[in-house]
Amino acid sequence: MRIVARLKKITEIEKLINLKVDCFLVDTPLSVRAVNRDLFNELDQIISYGKDIYLLINKMIHEEDIPLVKQLLKTVKDKKISGIVAGDITMMVLANEQGLKDKVIYQPGTMNTNSFDNEYFFMKQIKGITISKEITLEEIIKIFDNKKCELSLVGHGYLDMFYSKRKLITNYFIYKNVVKENIMDNDKFRIKEEMRPDSFYPILEDESGTHVFRDKALNSFEEIEVLKTEIDDFFIERIFMDDEEYYDSIKAYQDHSFVNEFLSKYNDHYNKGFYYQYTEKLKGDLSEN
Amino acid sequence: MRTELLAPAGNLEKAKIALLYGADAVYIGGKQFSLRARASNFDLDTIKELVDFAHELNKKVYVTMNIVFHDDDTIGLDDYLRYLDSIKVDAIICSSMIVVERAKAITNLEIHLSTQFSLTNSYLANYFYDEGIKRVVLARELSLEEIKLVQEKSKADLEVFIHGGMCVSYSGRCTLSNYTSLRDANRGGCAHTCRWLYNLYEDHELLSNDYDFQMSSKDLDATEFVKDLVEIGVSSLKIEGRMKSIHYIATVVSAYRMLIDDYYNGHMKDLKFYQDEIKKAENRQTSHGFFKGDTTIEEQLYNQRSEIPTKEFVGMVIGYNKDNKQLLIEQRNFFSPGDTLEIFTPDKNAVQFKVDKILSEELEELDAARHPLQKLLLNLNIEVPKYSMIRKVSYE
Repeated sequence: MRIVARLKKITEIEKLINLKVDCFLVDTPLSVRAVNRDLFNELDQIISYGKDIYLLINKMIHEEDIPLVKQLLKTVKDKKISGIVAGDITMMVLANEQGLKDKVIYQPGTMNTNSFDNEYFFMKQIKGITISKEITLEEIIKIFDNKKCELSLVGHGYLDMFYSKRKLITNYFIYKNVVKENIMDNDKFRIKEEMRPDSFYPILEDESGTHVFRDKALNSFEEIEVLKTEIDDFFIERIFMDDEEYYDSIKAYQDHSFVNEFLSKYNDHYNKGFYYQYTEKLKGDLSEN
Repeated sequence: MRTELLAPAGNLEKAKIALLYGADAVYIGGKQFSLRARASNFDLDTIKELVDFAHELNKKVYVTMNIVFHDDDTIGLDDYLRYLDSIKVDAIICSSMIVVERAKAITNLEIHLSTQFSLTNSYLANYFYDEGIKRVVLARELSLEEIKLVQEKSKADLEVFIHGGMCVSYSGRCTLSNYTSLRDANRGGCAHTCRWLYNLYEDHELLSNDYDFQMSSKDLDATEFVKDLVEIGVSSLKIEGRMKSIHYIATVVSAYRMLIDDYYNGHMKDLKFYQDEIKKAENRQTSHGFFKGDTTIEEQLYNQRSEIPTKEFVGMVIGYNKDNKQLLIEQRNFFSPGDTLEIFTPDKNAVQFKVDKILSEELEELDAARHPLQKLLLNLNIEVPKYSMIRKVSYE
């Protein structure tokens, strides 16, 4: 199992190497929910540390994005990149044109929910897929039992649960006729629903739209013990998390004896997501997807 | 090839109404594998009855199988696909690759890719075409210009939403409902969490007033763009709303039918004519969505009281007695003698008349039509066909 950490700044590389991180996930100009897109300009320096490098290209790819995707793929084609984490299957198609299909890890967040998905993408000869975040541990284990391609999980941190092309925060302030600076990429916004007064959901607007996240971060300290022999990549998310907590998170996955100390410090921030919570289907209300 | 008008139908009656009022095809969800399965009245026999009905009219039926499949959902998949193939369903609409691959392996069904996949470019359209998918439903986030670009390069047929509700998120990429309500949005359980009311904070500072931060979208109304979409050459124009009433289906389908036919016949009326027709049944605020590019406040709902009054649907014609010159209707909403009603027929004629008296089936005179689904007799000198809609006309 490789631990994949999101890189936020060049100056923390040594720290992350000391924490035995196997792979750095680096933002690109086509990252959404980014922690630092400028890092892409430092790619050669990051590569020079000798760790595996994954690039994050998780924007929904519209027609107008295609030239930039192609240019980006050409730029990295001859660099020592181990993976391209893609939110849209379009990346598989475009990477194939550059001979990079075997680097693609398809990570749509939703969609990879059954055993056949891993078989399908195995047949397509991409590097792997990331299991969807809204399924149970039992379902995940079943998919791992039928493992064909590399399988990964985003198993720690604040996970996104909504990706809209609409700039919902900017538009809200226009509607209110309020001049509001510093909206884009501002990670301090939260929304609270009127019937759930204790839940503050992070909401982030970037150039690609608006993203809403779970109010609690996910941890997988126990679950990873079950999955670690089969899992290829374990992604540790860091958005909305301060650096100290992030480094402590990595430490706890590398050394299980540190978990109790971690939880005594941060337990209020975390829950178990959908690992033990089956979601009901077929209770839909009055609309159409 | 003329552009198809594709309408939703939550049950057999709605499907027949949609076809009779001008849809070239309807899409339905069965009791299995569909995002609207809860609402479905389409068991296997009913699907067959509809397919036979549609084919008699030289029209089509598509069956949605657009849940995002978990392993447990695959039970019975092959049998279901084989059955749909055997009764000659015209296509399935799906979003999981297991459905695509099984349909290819064991049936001759035509396959369409659901908007749940949020397909946004021609490269992916062509990829799926090469994978055996004949038609892709485009994401509702595309502008008219983007649709043009995709159409120019796409080998797959394109289907574009033109009317009805819109997900605020890219479809298929939202788990708000899962997390907040334990209802799986991608398996038919969407709780519409995006339409709830929120307060907005920055750090701990409250920035909104009384939960007025909303993410809701106005419904889509693309009457303005139908001409362009037909000229571009998209294959299908799709109306959303399998849960909508028969009156809504009849009205909206009929308006778009007239608009498309008038375009092809070279005598389009002012758009306001078609929009006014739709307004007779539309009770939600509408906008053009992403057709003009990124959305603004005009495409968002900030007032939860978004519903607006409509021309009220009061009944449906189920028969006409030529001897007595009496309509037999099925009541749906209150009306009384003295009210002016408008009858709206499948062939788009409209007849207005004033109600002189209302009789029960037992010929008892009533002071008002009060009971939904009650069969009533009304005097009318002109014969109108079965399935005509009756709505109350109010003058303000």
